[in-house]
Amino acid sequence: MQTKDINEQIKWAQINKDVLRSMENPRMAYWVAVGTCLAMLMCAVVAEIYQYQVGMGPANLNWPQMWGLYIATFIFWIGMSHSGTLLSAILHIVHADWRKPIYRFAEAMTTFSLMTAGLFPMIHLGRLWNMYWVLPYVSDRGIWPNFRSPLVWDAFAIFTYLTSSAMFLFIGMIPDLAICRDNAKGWRKKLYTALSLGWSGTDRQWRHFRKTYLLMACFLIPLAVSVHSIVSSDFAMSIMPGWHVTSFPPYFVAGALYSGCAAIITLFILLRYFFRFEEYMTIPILEKTCKLTFVIAMAWSYLNLIEFAATWYGHDTAAKEVLWDKFTGPYSPYFWAMLFFGSVLPFTLAFEKLRRHLPTMFVVSLLLNVGMWLERWMIVSPTLSLSYHPIAWNVLWPSMVQWAIVFGSFGWFGLLFLVFVKVFPSVSMYEVKEMVYHRRRAHVEDQAKYFHRRLSDRQPATDTPSP
Amino acid sequence: MSGNEINRRDFLKVMGWSGAGVALAGCDMPTTVTLEEGKEKVTSYVLPEEYVIPGVGVYYASTCQQCPAGCGIHGRVREGRFLKVEGNPDAPLNHGKVCQMGQAGVQGHYNPDRITKPLIRKGGALVEASWDEAMDLIKQNVGAESTLKGERFAWVTGTVSGHQAVLLQSHLDAMGSTNHFAHEIVNNAVSQAVNREMLGEAQPAYRIDEARLIVSFGADLLGASQSPVHFTTQYAKFREAPRGVLVQVESKMTLTGANADLWLAVRPGTEGVLALGLANALLVKHKRDAADLPADVRDVIAKYDHDTVQRITGVAGDRIVKVAAWLNSQSPSLVLAGGSAEGQAHGYDTAAAVMLLNIILGNIGRTIVSSGDLPFAQMEAKSGNTAGLLALADTLDKGGLDAVFVYNTNPVYTAPSHLNLAEKLSAVPFKVVFAQFPDETAMRADVVLPIHSPYEDWGTHVAGYYGNQISIQQPLMEPLNPTTRGFGDLLLGMLKMRGVAGYADFEDYYGYIRQAVAALPAEMKADAGSEDKYWQQVLQRGLIPVQRKPRSLTAKAIAVSLPDYAQDSEYPYHLVPSPRLGMWDGRYANIPWLQEAPDQISKVVWDSWAEMHPLTAQKLGVMEGDVIKITSDQGAIEAAVYIYKGIHPDAIAVPLGQGHEKEFSRYAKDRGVNPLKILSPVREAKTGELALYGTRVKLAKAGRNEALVKLGGTDQQMGRKLVATVTADVFRRTEGGQDVA
Amino acid sequence: MSLKNILENWSNYRRDREAGGHHEYEHMWGMAIDLNKCIGCNACAVACYAENNLAIVGKEKMTKKQGMHWMRIERYWGEPDLDKLSQSSSQYQEHGANFLPMMCQQCNAATCEPVCPVAATFHTPDGLNAQVYNRCIGSRYCSNNCPYRLRYFNFYSYYESSWPAPLHLQLNPDLSVRDKGVMEKCTFCIQRIRVAKDKARMEDRVEKEAAVIKVGDSTFRAAAGRGKLEDMEFQTACQQTCPTGAIVFGDMLNPESQVRKLWDGHQVSLGKTKQTKQNPEKRGYRVFEALNTDPCVMYMERVREV
Repeated sequence: MQTKDINEQIKWAQINKDVLRSMENPRMAYWVAVGTCLAMLMCAVVAEIYQYQVGMGPANLNWPQMWGLYIATFIFWIGMSHSGTLLSAILHIVHADWRKPIYRFAEAMTTFSLMTAGLFPMIHLGRLWNMYWVLPYVSDRGIWPNFRSPLVWDAFAIFTYLTSSAMFLFIGMIPDLAICRDNAKGWRKKLYTALSLGWSGTDRQWRHFRKTYLLMACFLIPLAVSVHSIVSSDFAMSIMPGWHVTSFPPYFVAGALYSGCAAIITLFILLRYFFRFEEYMTIPILEKTCKLTFVIAMAWSYLNLIEFAATWYGHDTAAKEVLWDKFTGPYSPYFWAMLFFGSVLPFTLAFEKLRRHLPTMFVVSLLLNVGMWLERWMIVSPTLSLSYHPIAWNVLWPSMVQWAIVFGSFGWFGLLFLVFVKVFPSVSMYEVKEMVYHRRRAHVEDQAKYFHRRLSDRQPATDTPSP
Repeated sequence: MSGNEINRRDFLKVMGWSGAGVALAGCDMPTTVTLEEGKEKVTSYVLPEEYVIPGVGVYYASTCQQCPAGCGIHGRVREGRFLKVEGNPDAPLNHGKVCQMGQAGVQGHYNPDRITKPLIRKGGALVEASWDEAMDLIKQNVGAESTLKGERFAWVTGTVSGHQAVLLQSHLDAMGSTNHFAHEIVNNAVSQAVNREMLGEAQPAYRIDEARLIVSFGADLLGASQSPVHFTTQYAKFREAPRGVLVQVESKMTLTGANADLWLAVRPGTEGVLALGLANALLVKHKRDAADLPADVRDVIAKYDHDTVQRITGVAGDRIVKVAAWLNSQSPSLVLAGGSAEGQAHGYDTAAAVMLLNIILGNIGRTIVSSGDLPFAQMEAKSGNTAGLLALADTLDKGGLDAVFVYNTNPVYTAPSHLNLAEKLSAVPFKVVFAQFPDETAMRADVVLPIHSPYEDWGTHVAGYYGNQISIQQPLMEPLNPTTRGFGDLLLGMLKMRGVAGYADFEDYYGYIRQAVAALPAEMKADAGSEDKYWQQVLQRGLIPVQRKPRSLTAKAIAVSLPDYAQDSEYPYHLVPSPRLGMWDGRYANIPWLQEAPDQISKVVWDSWAEMHPLTAQKLGVMEGDVIKITSDQGAIEAAVYIYKGIHPDAIAVPLGQGHEKEFSRYAKDRGVNPLKILSPVREAKTGELALYGTRVKLAKAGRNEALVKLGGTDQQMGRKLVATVTADVFRRTEGGQDVA
Repeated sequence: MSLKNILENWSNYRRDREAGGHHEYEHMWGMAIDLNKCIGCNACAVACYAENNLAIVGKEKMTKKQGMHWMRIERYWGEPDLDKLSQSSSQYQEHGANFLPMMCQQCNAATCEPVCPVAATFHTPDGLNAQVYNRCIGSRYCSNNCPYRLRYFNFYSYYESSWPAPLHLQLNPDLSVRDKGVMEKCTFCIQRIRVAKDKARMEDRVEKEAAVIKVGDSTFRAAAGRGKLEDMEFQTACQQTCPTGAIVFGDMLNPESQVRKLWDGHQVSLGKTKQTKQNPEKRGYRVFEALNTDPCVMYMERVREV
């Protein structure tokens, strides 16, 4: 049984070779995956063109279901983006070095899910062509967006987060890009030369790099927390029963980290399998990720309970109705499914046997994300279907247009990710080397201490202990 | 220019100032949301367009022709386009108010399915033709040289009045015919007959505003009635402090029932029994003086004691006691019969029983007063009824007609299928329909003449109810289609065609009306000055007030005989084909606004439905939206059910309006059912009217569900304070006899 | 926008809005609807279609609840208030229906306004909740945040389907036909207001002085140069056609207006989440007042004899 996070005996060259290999010679399966993602994307494009031409009606949006799957999926993708930051920034700061082999693709996931999420507020606009009006551009007529609107905050938050996380991803990749540059030919050489910004690995460069990286990490952590809090204010700042909930910001952040971690598990297993990254994406690291996910799942469940309790003991009868409707109404199958996937299923992560079984973890991680997607839908739709004014109580099943666009968003995300893994190193080479070095060293130091204790009155003569 | 010369400098000054004015006006935009007063504005200068582009409309007075009530309207016109109907505040009939059908008239006018060219039947199909062709055909068939015998010619119309009625009568006279069949589904012919016998006047005036208590037996005053807007304006006064009480007795909740303080569901057809039961309670329990009543009347009333009435009508005893007590204590009261009470085989006796209550309560002369006689009797409204329809069918049966002219009615749609009217009409050799729309009757005509919409035409009208004025109808705009013609012009043309003396001088109908107004007695124009000024005044007001000569009403009590309630084991339910404000008798199914305006009671749009009591639904095992098959001895219709507690468990109500043929309108095509089609051949015994509410049906599940398209997600307030209700005591305590202000 | 200004004013901002807003008003259009008189006949709703170029969406879209009824007559069964008082029969709907005409309540603390990302809906100095179709990008947030659900979205482009020639000739040229992707709602017939205001200005009927006007418990600053309009100088389309006169519309800042007298008479005040009435039996109330939307429409309770 593999117990070490990483093979400490692995050679530097081997790491370079393994990672660079993953970027070359796409196999058939890769092209099939690209084709599938393209096809999915085309579904969404066709649906969006239709919707653009005809209006929002064919999506089966109505009075009162003015928002539907678009906003739910928007929150879902925003949530997905939080895991990258968690792994790369938070764990970086707390010196959890097991993150090193897996943070790169998680960060890429952050950027790409933000690029996906950002599409949804545009897609859901009745007049997509005027979407730039949300931005505070300088207009000689003195027209500004309404700074009081959470949707404007959303726009700011998403743009800031997207640019920051893309920069963070890029900065963290510079030493690796230099490795790629040194090993590439043709267009890749040109690309990596340009992107690696003349990295030569001097001490000075490393010093600046470390500082910048740490600074970005520190900047990104509050940003990530604020982004989903702001998204939650789309709901929490409204007066609608079931939306107007004080605990929404932490609840959203917890849900975001949750779905992100689950997605990391999914991609972890996929990359490990397809790129034969067994040496780097090891079972112990997976276990650690699973444990983290489990903790977050419990936090999310707790916040769920808080929301129920606050509503239940509160005075807002309309909010109670909405809650009760979630339990028993037309959306109840999805609601219970969400609770099952979100709160019960993660207990599989608590068992070592299951945690170490890759196919199980793959399915579980997908289902956790289904649960998280349902959670977002269960935030948006039940409240709309059941609000203060009973004349407008209505449930409308989303049409194929909505489903196609939601479906296609996964294709879009997949496509971006597929391109990424073939153009950029999906495992951080220099950081894996760091990790291996530290582990190896730690190992040596442990031994040293051990022997030092046994031979207490004499200092070891050399660096290496001798019996 | 010499006398009033402007030099260049002045000109520039003027231009400069006015330019500055424009600029200032442009700057003079209202401030919007400001974050900090007077310092910086956060919002844009973008304003709603409505805020900056006002237009000025011109208003012309005219008369609404949507239903026979004849409300005064103002038509808003801009750039030569007639845009909107508004009430004429000068019209005493409707005090500046109009109902939804009046509002929607403009969509009839601009309806995309209007007939714009004359149609002639050639080889079995209607084809477009020229006016000359059409008129030649008419000349051939009914002109002076034709061989048509007078009594083989007939006019079939809706309610007609004013000079239209005069010319129509002249035309009939010229043809030598007496066949004028006036047909309306929404009518009060039975009540009129009863009034004629018991009061000596067919259509007295009801002083709803004066009454403290109104007990209405199926009279849908606020909805499908003789003059909905007039009654409603009076109702508003009735509801002002000290606030009268409204009791509605019927088996399906009408709009009036929905506004009643007490809505009593009565077993269909037993309204008269309840009326007699109330009379009994007044005489026996409340010791009302019955000395004036003839002995036979007293005998009849005596038969209907509390228990009998309760058994027959199915109304709870305490409710009967309560209403009787109200009738006794609230004075003056007003008891009315209408719609569902009259539309039975024994409708006459029911209406008479109701009128007996008025006599006992002494309401004649207080809340029921004489309307009086119009000085120009020939202009009085000739109200349509269903007897007219039956008479037409009978005449056709006998093969008695060679030429039929139809105007403003659609008998092929409204006639029950047992009358076989479409087939019978087809057998008539020459049928001319004066139509705006390709309705069922028009599509069976030999010649269809496209007429002006009421907003393009001249006319005069006298309302059938509250006809205290000659209402003037004037064109609000140039004819939309140059190929339509005015009905009055056509009538005049046909009179000329027959060579009737006295009409040759009138160039058109307008000229005729001008002359008729000119011929009015001089005292009516005293304050106008000149003839032209008077005409201008008339056009501006849209009406000529006339003093009707009141009669003295009699109060003749007659003995009535009402059948006991009989169950029918094969057809256990009663069909209520309910007309409503909106679709009326089905003529407005081509108006999209009215299709999309929800039914007042069920809130269903764009369709037919069947109203059903929850108990009946339980018995049948149906839920809302389940389709049921309603079968009478004349056929079957299918409709989705709406379940609520505003209907008697023995009744099933299907609204009128839908079930049109596809040619009629794109908006009515393939939509719903027409319950009139399955009416049984039941006739009111004394007047020969069609008993619209006398059909028995059986119900069966059709086994499918078609969700009703309704406004609103729920019928309940779900604990919200949306509509709050207080009792009338509270109302009177706080608002007393005075205005709140 | 200086930081100092924001900090100085922000804390007062919301409270000022509750008191009717921060700026100077020209008018404060309000309504009073008497449910004792309303018979639910629907005339107002059709008049609104006629006046405001409302699209006909047809049966299929009505099924999907994509209708555009700015003025809607709601009908409720069940009588929570009366069941307590009388022994209503459970078998029949004995006290008739509960009708409620519902149009935009023109809230003074409108929940739709702050959430619009582009400020397409904002408060005018007439106390109206204006909707700028040109500016609207169709995020539909306003509708989601409206507790009255009176905002309707153009889910389709209705021009061709709703007004086939020659029906389009009926369109009121004083206001636009909304295209797809735009939110719309009752405007209190803003085009009629504008005509009346222009007329007053042309006739030089102008209040020269600014004033502070108390409406109930709220205080409004009225701008100098505001038009001096007679009460009932013009009417909204629904009010004009209402056969029972149940709808009264007017300027709340005009102490002589009927609507103001009704509000005062029923002891209903703007700017409150709960009315403190001297006589609690007075019939006036506002729908969802407790949500602090401060609506400008007052309803007067339905009355029934029991």
